[in-house]
Formats: sequence, structure tokens, C-alpha cells
Amino acid sequence: MDIEEKLKILADSAKYDASCSSSGSSRTNKNGIGNGDVSGICHSWGADGRCISLLKILMSNCCMYDCKYCINRSSNTVKRATFTSREVADLTIGFYKRNYIEGLFLSSAVIKSPDYTMELLYQTISILRNEYHFNGYIHTKTIPGSSPELIDKLGKLVDRMSINIELPSSDSLKLLAPEKSKSDILTPMKYVANSINNSKLLLQESSSKYHLKPKKESFVPAGQTTQLIVGATPETDLKIMKLSENLYNKIKLKRVYYSAYISVNEDKNLPTLKVPPLLRENRLYQADWLLRFYGFKADELLNEKNPNFNTMLDPKCEWALRNIDFFPIEINTAGYYKLLRVPGIGVTSAKRIMTARRESKLNFDNLKKLGVVLKRAQYFITCNGKYFDKICYFNQSFISSNLMYLERQNLPSPDYFQTSLFDDLLPTKGDKIKCLTGNL
Amino acid sequence: MLNWKFIDEIFLYDGTFDGLLTIVFDCYISKRLPQKIVPKDEYVQNILDKTSFIETDFEKSSKVFEGIHKNICNDALYNAYYAFLSANRSGICDNKEIEIVKFLLKGFVVGPKIMTMLSVSYVLNVFKLRKNMLAEAHKLKGLVRLQEIGDNVFYSSIHPENNVIENIGHFFMKRFPMQNLILHDKNRQIAFLYNTKKYEIIDVNDNITPTITKEEKEFQTLWKTFFKTIAIKERTNKRCQMQYMPKKYWQDLVEMK
Ligand code: SF4
Repeated sequence: MDIEEKLKILADSAKYDASCSSSGSSRTNKNGIGNGDVSGICHSWGADGRCISLLKILMSNCCMYDCKYCINRSSNTVKRATFTSREVADLTIGFYKRNYIEGLFLSSAVIKSPDYTMELLYQTISILRNEYHFNGYIHTKTIPGSSPELIDKLGKLVDRMSINIELPSSDSLKLLAPEKSKSDILTPMKYVANSINNSKLLLQESSSKYHLKPKKESFVPAGQTTQLIVGATPETDLKIMKLSENLYNKIKLKRVYYSAYISVNEDKNLPTLKVPPLLRENRLYQADWLLRFYGFKADELLNEKNPNFNTMLDPKCEWALRNIDFFPIEINTAGYYKLLRVPGIGVTSAKRIMTARRESKLNFDNLKKLGVVLKRAQYFITCNGKYFDKICYFNQSFISSNLMYLERQNLPSPDYFQTSLFDDLLPTKGDKIKCLTGNL
Repeated sequence: MLNWKFIDEIFLYDGTFDGLLTIVFDCYISKRLPQKIVPKDEYVQNILDKTSFIETDFEKSSKVFEGIHKNICNDALYNAYYAFLSANRSGICDNKEIEIVKFLLKGFVVGPKIMTMLSVSYVLNVFKLRKNMLAEAHKLKGLVRLQEIGDNVFYSSIHPENNVIENIGHFFMKRFPMQNLILHDKNRQIAFLYNTKKYEIIDVNDNITPTITKEEKEFQTLWKTFFKTIAIKERTNKRCQMQYMPKKYWQDLVEMK
């Protein structure tokens, strides 16, 4: 089989993985090829609007397992292929030199055994790092059930590792991925988390003790991530958010990716969805953002009474409307995290406000000049005690209907969903499409 | 506000950063500001305009350069320089040169504090211009496609709105120190050359379209295959693709040709 054919098969199998980030590595170049860019770089955007920044492929799709939702499960008849380590290394370098990519994202089906697969991944990365002196970004999968020794070896060479949780509960896992146990996934994940932590401590110690620059060899410097499938099993958004919160707080994951379930197989245990729940996925990403950067807690966003996000309103607006007593917020005195709670005020705007108000008190015109978008924020703030324009009272239903209207214009057009499901709900503004992708 | 007097004149200069700093020097000494500052080549004759051409004077410009470094801060220098390289096409302000000059003159009065005075319009505009230029540079760090046109010689043509070639040239030099590089800005007909030891920026007069190697062709095919395969059919969203990767860049992208 020639390399192009293999590439076709093994890129096709890798495409459902949402993760494509290349940020967080600051490897420098010493006589080799490539370096990391802390903020990450996108190199292209595919026809689905997702950013392409890494050569995202599987080592092999010859899987010994039979996860129900997966195109490569052993019971499917699909074309199978396996790269050699050299082929992957050469492809990576060839693409990198031409500036097509930021690096490699190598995953794999489980071929022969978890450890055999991990060894293959290690061989490949070793060629890249040790033989070709490649300093670009490398992200590999941790294969569920693989041994700590192999994780150690690989972790020293890569920037990021991830192991997919796949499904939000162990019951669902049993149902749809019977050969992968919860501990097969969580044990390596915790192991990696521990090693990252130890390596950080070691670096701090050596740099403070000897006043040296930290040694370059660190363990998975860009951190660990995971991904889970949304909509294949009955878990609520609340359950998913709680899980993510735990993963961020307890296991210190860098990111959790959510992947709207796309049905590729038929099975009695699988739902039949005509279209992937992209809007739900988008809400989860927005909420995830609120957890990570805005100081929100899962319990604040959802509760047992409202266990799912409103697909018609973004999670922050939803929260604000349910907590209308929290507002209005005075722009000239509120602290950073309080500002961030205002719908329409993001990290950039909040920071600008903090800087600018040191110079002089701000009014609504100043805010506009600073680039703060008032469309949503106007209902929730005061400047020097004054409300915006004609807004003079807080009325939940008034604000809510206004926000709903704004939000509607942001929703994707019906033809995007290739269905009439949303027809009656969605007057659209074509140019305001929000991109429902993993790189939000 | 600045206490300088506005005079009813348009200053023309040679379009270089040194030229602009020379004007800063003259304005500082004379305490007078023109209505507009325009590169000579871009100036369109108008019978009502009173124009004067300001000759670039390296002694003056280096004094200003030093002065910014000493009395304002390095960040302000970067601000001014990047704003200078920025195109003003999205209509950030009327005349970017005058905003930069005001920014620097005010900077000489208040010092590093100038960097926080975002409620002053010309300060904010300089920040916006700089951001505009850096945003495109960042985008192009990803979108530049290097084509092998000879043994270890890589060529790329680009059509940027802003003058980003120096910025991205430095970036690629660090990333690919062992590759010979030619980055060709076809909108400005300038090129960034790097031969694994040193670099220079030159004017390009001919319209070169180099031929690519056999290996290059093979990799381009592989890249196109990957590009097509990696998109998820069920999620097709061309509008989103175009939003992130505007059409104006497609002519230089292997995968979009
Ligand atoms: S382990 Fe499961 S999800 Fe992974 S490739 Fe095999 S069948 Fe698919």
C-alpha cells in the first residue's frame, strides 16, 4: 500500500478527535528543526471550519477492541492500514518544513496489545526527537491500559498527552466500550498527572536551589487533555460539567474536549441521530470556558431543576437571568471577576476596563471606544450610577426576550444543519454564523 | 490635549520609518503639527493643498529613536513601529502617520504612562493599528506555504495587507534555521532572504515564479489528500472556513488552489 493510501485511511480515522491545539509549548530550537509557539498557530481550516494545526493521524486502525460507536471497531469491515514509524516521522518532517503544520498528533487503535501499541508510538516519536532533532509540537494518545514504564519514556519526549474518557459515566462505558474499563483510562491519566506534577516540582527546586535555568527535559510540558462524546448516552449537561470540573480541579487537566456524537455505526445500544448535537456541544464549550477562565462553578450554571443548558441562550446569559439580583454592576468599581460575570464582557474587555479606569472614570461612550460591545452588557451595568440610555429598571422577562432575540441572530442557519428541525425557530443572519467547533 | 499648533499643511515624506521620526523631531522643535502626513508616492495632487516635503535626516531620526528608548519606553517604540507597518485600510483612523506622531509627542510629555492612556483617541488608534498588523502577521505564520524550489531552498509568495515581512521573516528564521528561505511579498514587491547565516530585505523587480522540485510536488499531493480527508462531512461549514481563512489568502495556499 502506498503512503498516500495509508494517509487517507489513517487521517480519516483520526478526524473525529476534536483536539488540535498546539499551544503551551515553548521548545526552542538548538541545531535542529522547529520550535514551539506558546500561543499556538493554526495553519489551515478544513471544509468543516475546524482549525488544522497538527498532522492528525492514527498509527494504525487495526483495532482489537469493539467499541460500539467507533468506525474502527473490530466487527466493522473497513480498510485497514498501519504506518511504519519511519513513514510517520518522514511525513511529519516533510509537512513541517513546508509550514503546513505545527507538529504531530499521533493516536492509534489498539493493535495487538496496549503496550505493543505504546511501543510503536514511542519508536516514532523517538525518531523525530532524537534522530531528526525535531522541536515542533507533539501530542500523543496514552493507550488505555498501557504500563507506567512506557508512559514514562514517551512522556519525556512529547508536549502533550491525552487519554479519552470517551463517555461521561462508567455505566455508559460498560455499555458502549465494554473492553475499556474505567480504571484502564483513569489509572494512566492519574499517573501522567502525577508525573507532570513531580517534574514541575523538580524544576522549581533545582532552579531555586542552584539559581539555574530549569533544565529543558520536562514531562508533558503542555499538559494533559481528554475528550468525551456528547449525545450518545443519556447523561445531562450538569453531569458532564461536574465531571469536567473534577478533571480540571483534581487531575489538573489542561482541557476537556466535547465531541458531538456522529453516528457511524448501527447498534441496538446506540441512539439514531440524524444530525450531531452541535448546538449542545457549543454550549458545553462555552460553559467549559466559564469554568476555566471566568471563575464559575458547575453548580452555579446548572442544578437538579435545570440540568441542561438552554440551547437558545448562551450559558452566561442564562446564569445572569437566573441571578438578576447580582446586577447591576458598577463599571468603575467592580472587581475583575465581577466584571467577567456580565454577559458580553470577556477577558479582553474586563482587562481594558481595569486599565482604563485607573486614568479616569468611565462612561458608556468611553466603553464603546474601548471596544466593549454593549449589545448584551447594557442591561447589566451602570457607569457612575447611571443606566444605559433608556434602560432604567431590571425586568427579567424584558431582558430575557431581548437577549433571546440577539442570540437568535447568532445561531447557524438551518441549511447548516441540513434539516428542517430548526426552521420555525431560526430567522438567520447569514454573516453571523458562530462556528461550532472545538477551537472556540 | 497637546499644546501644539496645527498648521494648514500636508507633510510629505519618503515613506520610511526614519522619515516619520524625522517629522517627529521637526514637530517637537517647532511645536507645530501638520494636518496630515503622507508618503510622497501615495500623495494625490490637490490644488488646494499646501504641501512640503520633509527630507529624511538620519541624525534627527536616531535622536528621536534614542529619545523614545530613554524617555518613554521600548514598548512605545514597538507600538509606533508596528503601527507604522500597519495598513489603515479597515479605516481605523484618517491618517495613521499623524496618530503615531501625536502618540510619540505626547509620550515625550508624559513618559511611559502613555501606554495606559487608552481613553485618548490617538493612543487607542496606535494600539489598534499595531494589533491589526500583528494579527495578520500571526495569521500568516500559519498560512505561509514554503515550496522547495531547489536543494534546501524554500520559496513562498504572500499577498499581505500589512507590511509583515520582517516580522514573519524573523519567525521563520528561528523555526527553520537550516533552510534557505525566500519570502516574497508580491503586494509590495519586496523579499526577505535568508541563507542560514544572515538575512536581508530586498526590492524585487521581476515577477519570479520559480519551478518546484519533484519531491515538493509529491508532498503537495500528500498535503492536499490530508486536507481533504481531515474535514468531517457531517459538519461541513464553508462559511466558517472562509471567516477564518479569507479568500484573499487562497491564491498562495497549496490546498486551496
Ligand atoms: S479502542 Fe475503541 S475507540 Fe479506539 S480505535 Fe479501537 S474500537 Fe475505536
